[in-house]
Amino acid sequence: MAEFMRDPKYGTAAEIMALDWARLMGILEDPEASVFAKAKACQRLAVVGNHFAVDAIAPLLADPQLSHYARFALEPAPAFAADPALREAAGKLKGRLLVGVINSIAVRRDPEAIPLLGKLVNDPDPEVARAALEALARIRPPL
Amino acid sequence: MRKTGSISRRRLLAGAAAAPVIVPGSVLGKNGAVPPSERITLGGLGIGGRGAAVLRSFLEQPDVQFLAVCDVRNERREAIKTMADEKYGNRDCAAYRDQEELFARRDIDALLIATGDRWHTLLSVLAARAGKDVYCEKPCSMTIAESRALADTFQRLGRIYQAGTQRRNGANFVWACEMARSGKLGKLRALHAEAGPGNRWPPLTRHDWLPAEPEPSPQVVDWDRWLGPCPWRPYNAEYVKGRWRGYFDFHGGGILEWGSHTVDLCQWAAGKDETAPVEYVPYGMGADTPYRIECRYADGLRLVLRDSGFLGLGSCHIRFEGDAGWVETADGGEIRVSENLRPLAPSISKEEAGRATTNHVRDFLDCVKSRRQPRSHALAAGQAHIACHAAYIAFQLGRKLEFDPATDSFVADEQANRMRSRAMREPWRL
Repeated sequence: MAEFMRDPKYGTAAEIMALDWARLMGILEDPEASVFAKAKACQRLAVVGNHFAVDAIAPLLADPQLSHYARFALEPAPAFAADPALREAAGKLKGRLLVGVINSIAVRRDPEAIPLLGKLVNDPDPEVARAALEALARIRPPL
Repeated sequence: MRKTGSISRRRLLAGAAAAPVIVPGSVLGKNGAVPPSERITLGGLGIGGRGAAVLRSFLEQPDVQFLAVCDVRNERREAIKTMADEKYGNRDCAAYRDQEELFARRDIDALLIATGDRWHTLLSVLAARAGKDVYCEKPCSMTIAESRALADTFQRLGRIYQAGTQRRNGANFVWACEMARSGKLGKLRALHAEAGPGNRWPPLTRHDWLPAEPEPSPQVVDWDRWLGPCPWRPYNAEYVKGRWRGYFDFHGGGILEWGSHTVDLCQWAAGKDETAPVEYVPYGMGADTPYRIECRYADGLRLVLRDSGFLGLGSCHIRFEGDAGWVETADGGEIRVSENLRPLAPSISKEEAGRATTNHVRDFLDCVKSRRQPRSHALAAGQAHIACHAAYIAFQLGRKLEFDPATDSFVADEQANRMRSRAMREPWRL
C-alpha cells in the first residue's frame, strides 16, 4: 500500500474530508496548516461549504499554490456568497490567477461582473483579455 | 527575358513538357494504394498502452496516414514516432509536447486522443474548435458538465466525434442490442450494466496525495501539462507511469471504468441515447462488498449498474430483460438467451468479437469521409456518461437522487448539484 501524505495536525485526506464546514474553515485560517490540508479542505467545502466559509476561502484566491483550490470551492457555491468574492479578486489579481478567476466568473455566469469584464478585455495581458472576452460571450444575455 | 546563366520561363516550360514526369504508383492508387488525396491524416495525443492498440487499428487501414504525436512524456513521444516511422519507412512523424502545435497543423484531419481521463473532454473540445474530427478513448468526461459541453460542442461545430466505446461495433453486443431494439425481447423491463468490479476499481476514489518527488525536466515529463486542468499536487512518478486510477482528481471511479461501455450499450439498446435515468439508488459500498445502483428512466424502465451476479461470459456484461425473453453477453463473445430465443442466437467467435476496435475505427473513418454520425457520437457518449456520473454522485453521497435530464440537474439536492462540475486549473477552460 502506498504511503500517502498527511498533515501533522489534521491527518490524512480521508480524515480532513470527514470534517464539518466549521472545522474545514478552521484549517483554512490556520497558518500552520499545510498546503495539503488546505487543498483538501477546499475540495470538501466545494460540497459542504456555505456563505460563512467564503470568508475563509476568498483570501486563498491570491495564493499561487491554492488559488485554484479556492475556486474549486467557490465555483459551485450559492450565488450570493461566491460572486462578490470572485468579483473582488478579479479587481485585484494579475496574470494566470486573474485568468482563473475570470474563468470561474464565466462558469457562474455572473451578470454583475459584466462591467468589470468589459474593462479587462483591454488588459495588456493577452491571456487576460482573451479570458474576459470569452467570459462576456458566455454571460451576456442574447440580443 | 534573362541571358546566359539563367533560364527563361518559356524555356523551362518547354523543357518540362518534353521531359517525362515520374509519378509514384501509390499517388495514382495503383496496387491497392490509396492516393494521398483520399487518405485521412491523423495525429495522436497521449498514446500509451491502450492508445497504441487503437493506433495499430488505425495504421492497418489503407486510407490513414499518421503524421504526428503529442505527449507530455518524451519517452512516449519517441516510442510512437518510432512506431509510425517504421510503418512508413521514413522519419517524417512529428513529435510535439504542446498540443497547440498539433492543433495548428492544417494538414491533419483528425486526432486520436488517448490521454488519461482528465484531459479527454478538454482536448476533444479544443480539437473540434481547431477544426479536427476526434476519436477519443473512454471515459469521455469527468463530470456531468463536461459531458454536456462535449455533446454541445460537436453538435454546434459539426465535427465528427467517436467515443472509444468500441463495443457498439462488437458483433455480439450489436446483436444483443438489436434484439432489444427490434422488439424481439418484448417490452423491455430491465437493463443490466456491469460496472467495474469493486475489488479492482472501487466505485469511490481517494483524495490522497502520494509523497512528493523531485520534478523531472519538462522535456522529460511536463508535469504541469500532465496535470492540465486538474488541481495541482506534487509530482510523483507513480501517477505518470499509469497508476493514476483511483484518485478523485484524475479518475471517474470504478463505475465509469466499465459503465462508460455498458451503460452506453444499455442506453443504445433501449433507444435512450438522448436522455438519462431520473432516479438513482445506491446499495453496498464496493471494494469488500458487491455494489449496485438501481436507476429508473421516466417511463419506468430499470437500469441496474452492478459489479457482480452475471453469467461469467467475460468482462463488460450487459443483460437485457423484456416480457418476451432476455439476452446476456460480454467480451468473451458468447451470447446467452432465454429458451424461447435460442433458435435465433448466433455463434460469434471470440476472434470476431475481438474485432470491435477495428470495426469502430473503420466506422469513424467512414464517417469522417461521409460526415454521417458514427455509432458512438458525442451526444450518445455524453448522455451515457451523464447517467454514469449521476450514479457515481449518488454513490458518493450514499443516498437516493432524482435527476432531471432536461436540465442536467438533480431535484432538490444542492450537494449533488454542486458535484456536477469541477473548476479547471488556470488557464484551462471549456
